[in-house]
Amino acid sequence: MGATFVVTLREAFEAALLLGIVYTYLDKVGARHHFRYVTMGGALGLGASVAMGGAIAFASGLLLDLGPDLVTVAVIFFAVGLLTWHGWWMQQHARAVRGSVQRRIDEAEATQRLWVVGLIAFTGVFREGAETVLFLWGLMSQTNVAGWGGVSGGVLGIGAAGALGWAIFRGGRQLSLQRFFTVTSLVLLFVAAGLFSTGIGKLQGLGVLPATDALWDTSGLLSDRGFVGGFLGGLVGYRARPSAFEAGGYGLYVVGLPLLRAPWNGRPCARGRPARSPHRAQPDAPMIARAYRGLTA
Amino acid sequence: MRRVLAALVMLGVAAAAAAALAADPPEIALTIEKNRFQPDEIKVKAGVPFVLVVTNKDAAPIEFECKELRVEKVVPPGATVKVRIRALKPGSYPFVDDFHHETTGRIVAE
Repeated sequence: MGATFVVTLREAFEAALLLGIVYTYLDKVGARHHFRYVTMGGALGLGASVAMGGAIAFASGLLLDLGPDLVTVAVIFFAVGLLTWHGWWMQQHARAVRGSVQRRIDEAEATQRLWVVGLIAFTGVFREGAETVLFLWGLMSQTNVAGWGGVSGGVLGIGAAGALGWAIFRGGRQLSLQRFFTVTSLVLLFVAAGLFSTGIGKLQGLGVLPATDALWDTSGLLSDRGFVGGFLGGLVGYRARPSAFEAGGYGLYVVGLPLLRAPWNGRPCARGRPARSPHRAQPDAPMIARAYRGLTA
Repeated sequence: MRRVLAALVMLGVAAAAAAALAADPPEIALTIEKNRFQPDEIKVKAGVPFVLVVTNKDAAPIEFECKELRVEKVVPPGATVKVRIRALKPGSYPFVDDFHHETTGRIVAE
């Protein structure tokens, strides 16, 4: 029971973390009515996980040999793209909130783009979802006492991950908006960098990218096969023996992403997007703007 | 320009994938029965890529995982999955059933 608890807790924690952050984010910008995007994304992710799990269970041949890997790699890089974009977007909002002159939020953009948080919820759940579904399904197929102990452990693990996500939501609400943006930007930066380097590692494992030697070995210090190391591996991409490509990709992402944002930093109105016109504001825009003012006051 | 570059990169990746698939490396059988890998030590020649043919004879799905080689593969009950392994440097590469952590084995390349 304990073992299955750990497996599902680890698999579900990343999803819970992302959901917690995204819900808190919407709460903070006064867009609670957009929670449904996240809930829908999460539910769709769950549905896709069950479908994928079923597909794997009944697939065979080349489809089974390569299919799951290709889907995993695609989801990983899609998630990296989403998180990258979202990180940049959050920073924009954080700045808009901070600046007293830029009180006016880009309402149109805010409402038009909030559905992306649903996509983040979807990929967050779907990434490890199929695996977890298959794992639980395997436990349930063992109908003896030990099997049911395992099932309850597995379900408890998911529950614990959910509770942690909820705790993040509650805790995140207490933080000041500025601090929340800073903390989540940082966490998401490392989650995205970890995903990026995981994707590179997968491509190396598949033989798509050439294999490279491990750059260093910290397995004596913190093995990535242990609980803590494995947990950090799933969350921020910790590897005890990272290949040159993985470490390079990680470093490039962490260093490169803030640089990428730099051009926009000084002039948020650059690129002359017509979407900034207040005429295109959505009906609920005043409410968001009010929430911002309340938070900055 | 950027699109052209992206297209070229994608083309390169696709070509590499096709090349990797076209090769015909030797196959080595690995079976899981009663939560044990058979054999639990696989000896291979260093520097030669190979294919692990993993068969799960148990009633529950397993996940063949080799952290070192960045390989993770779910094998449903009764199914067989082919796992391509790249040319290895001499050394020991432990693997585990990620769904049952007491089930372990290793690949030894020499």
